[in-house]
Amino acid sequence: MPEQKAEGKPQPAAKAPPAMAVAPWDDELARSLKQRFGEQITELSVYLGQKFLVAKPEAVVPILQYLNSEAAFDYLVDVTAVDYPSRAERFELIYILYSFARNERIRIKTRVAEGARPASATGVYPTANWLEREVFDMFGIEFADHPDMRRILMPEDWTGHPLRKDSSILAMDHRWVKEHLGIDSGQ
Amino acid sequence: MRKFLRTVLLIDLIEGLWVTFRYQRPKHIYTEQYPAERPKVAERFRGAPRLNINPETGETLCIACNLCALACPENLIVVSSERNEKTRRKELTTFTYDTSRCMFCGLCEDACPTDALELTQDFELAAYSREGAIWDRQMLEEGPRPTKYPY
Amino acid sequence: MPDGTYLDATELVLNMGPQHPSTHGVLRVILKLDGERVIGTECVIGYLHRGVEKIGENRTYAQFAPYVDRMDYVASVSNGLGYCLAVEKLLSVEVPPRAQAVRVILTELNRIASHLIWLGTHALDVGAITPLFYTMREREEILKIYEKYCGARLTTHAFRIGGLQYELYEGFEDEVRAFCDMFLPKVDEYEELLTGNRIWIARLKNVGVLNAEDCKAYGVTGPMLRAAGVKWDLRKAQPYSGYEQYDFEIPTGVNGDSYDRYLVRIEEMRQSVRIIRQAVDRMPEGPIMGKVPKVIKPPLGEVYVSIEAPKGELGYYIVSDGSTQPYRVRVRPPSFVNLQALDKMCRGALVADVVVIIGTIDIVLGEVDR
Repeated sequence: MPEQKAEGKPQPAAKAPPAMAVAPWDDELARSLKQRFGEQITELSVYLGQKFLVAKPEAVVPILQYLNSEAAFDYLVDVTAVDYPSRAERFELIYILYSFARNERIRIKTRVAEGARPASATGVYPTANWLEREVFDMFGIEFADHPDMRRILMPEDWTGHPLRKDSSILAMDHRWVKEHLGIDSGQ
Repeated sequence: MRKFLRTVLLIDLIEGLWVTFRYQRPKHIYTEQYPAERPKVAERFRGAPRLNINPETGETLCIACNLCALACPENLIVVSSERNEKTRRKELTTFTYDTSRCMFCGLCEDACPTDALELTQDFELAAYSREGAIWDRQMLEEGPRPTKYPY
Repeated sequence: MPDGTYLDATELVLNMGPQHPSTHGVLRVILKLDGERVIGTECVIGYLHRGVEKIGENRTYAQFAPYVDRMDYVASVSNGLGYCLAVEKLLSVEVPPRAQAVRVILTELNRIASHLIWLGTHALDVGAITPLFYTMREREEILKIYEKYCGARLTTHAFRIGGLQYELYEGFEDEVRAFCDMFLPKVDEYEELLTGNRIWIARLKNVGVLNAEDCKAYGVTGPMLRAAGVKWDLRKAQPYSGYEQYDFEIPTGVNGDSYDRYLVRIEEMRQSVRIIRQAVDRMPEGPIMGKVPKVIKPPLGEVYVSIEAPKGELGYYIVSDGSTQPYRVRVRPPSFVNLQALDKMCRGALVADVVVIIGTIDIVLGEVDR
């Protein structure tokens, strides 16, 4: 089983890396976001009918605040992250919001580098409490001003962050089996 | 007044007790007396794997295409074969299946093009050791032989 | 003597440990008590963490489907449906209508099965032992149908990406209709045992109240949100797999306490029977598998698809990098997010109410921990 995969396919140096086939997102909400936040939103797109925007890390909590208070997005569905080790800013944090009144779902993405401390969304949505703890546990992204930043799923004394791409699933198995059982793992 | 009587005479509790009381002589007893009566499982039940044999010629149906090993999420099937020079075909030599890690998902059965590998209705797969759960070709073709206790 | 000595201490820290008959799995709740009143709780989870998301990055799309069943192991067909819908959206594959109808039938049977387990175990926690036997007896009929259809009772792996693997067996429709006819009087029987019972009402009314704003703020979905009065169901708001064709109601409650949640789930079981009857009557003919390539390689992209699982909103966020294995599979578990509200609901309750509240959230630790 491959443990590390290259993202995309190898290509000659002149071409840009393959990207998602997105369409631009241009409706009233996108325009008001663009007007309010301007430079800090770098992309507003739609992929497969799902709208998302990419913003700078400092702007994320103000955007969440704006969407919660002005645009009736009162339900934070999920906070998660994806690891792209080949990029300079290796983690992509994703917030998914839903509005009951509009029956619409949007994603807010941002790119953070390793060691960065993005602001916590618990002030805007209390749901983010455990979801951000899980992102910290799995990826190692610490959130500033979080009321209770500690590991949630892994044991407290665990070292490492499992969902990063450099924690190989087989290496963890070999290490644990050697340490605790003294034999070679059969995988 | 009705409410008062209902409360004092515990009518709501007696209604609930009456439901359980109705089951005094049940028409259908749901308990299965295992192992005296074995449950009849469905035809599509995903139980013990079996390598099928062609009933007429007695040869195995497996053509060693390795599709089941590729389909398995746990990578627990190992198929090895050698090329028969006379018929120019691959012949199966060993077939190893690790039932201790198998989750009986059925992906290997779906992938097999000749219906050689099949998940049967056997569910009594206990073994005395971890190695005993790794089945080789002979065990796969015969099937598990659970001890039958006389009743 | 210093002031405020330990003789004045009114707080007691009590551990409802991972091995506990009423915590529905390995959930550890640390209670801070003032006598019998709870003044604070803390949940420690992760005892059943198996790294399903990490496994997902190392398996192909078709190989990952059996792992998905094992998260919410009580209602495994819904998990499979969510995953298949997400991958089908990534591939832009259309599922034929017959497959959609069968999927609806199996998923609604799954909803009934999940609510039956919930009812049995919740009543058992409160102290009523009898409903457990009756609900398990009905669940047995549903599991027999699953076994005849796909070969396994609990971890079904019933759906494949693009449709179904197995055609319906002989007598499926008759058995499902017979089940529906048998089941509705049984729901009345459960109600007869519990709904008017004064002990049940006393244990459940005004316990674990979570009103609508708190539900939305904490991201709580599913029957808990509906019991708080919000008439919202993903099957009606953003229909999937042909749910827009079926006519059913969304039961709601008034107060958002445990008793309303009980009533909402009982009514949901009846509405599920209604949906199943409609789906069986209108079963279209046709193929059961859509046009899916042999090797599943979705284009570069990402998608978030969520369904109304029996516990709440179950979402799958899949990022694809163009290869045969997903780059990231994220499962948004409803029980995990609903469990956050435990602290809010337990403040000021008695210790015995904590057991009731854990039961009424309807958690499955396989889903909380993944």
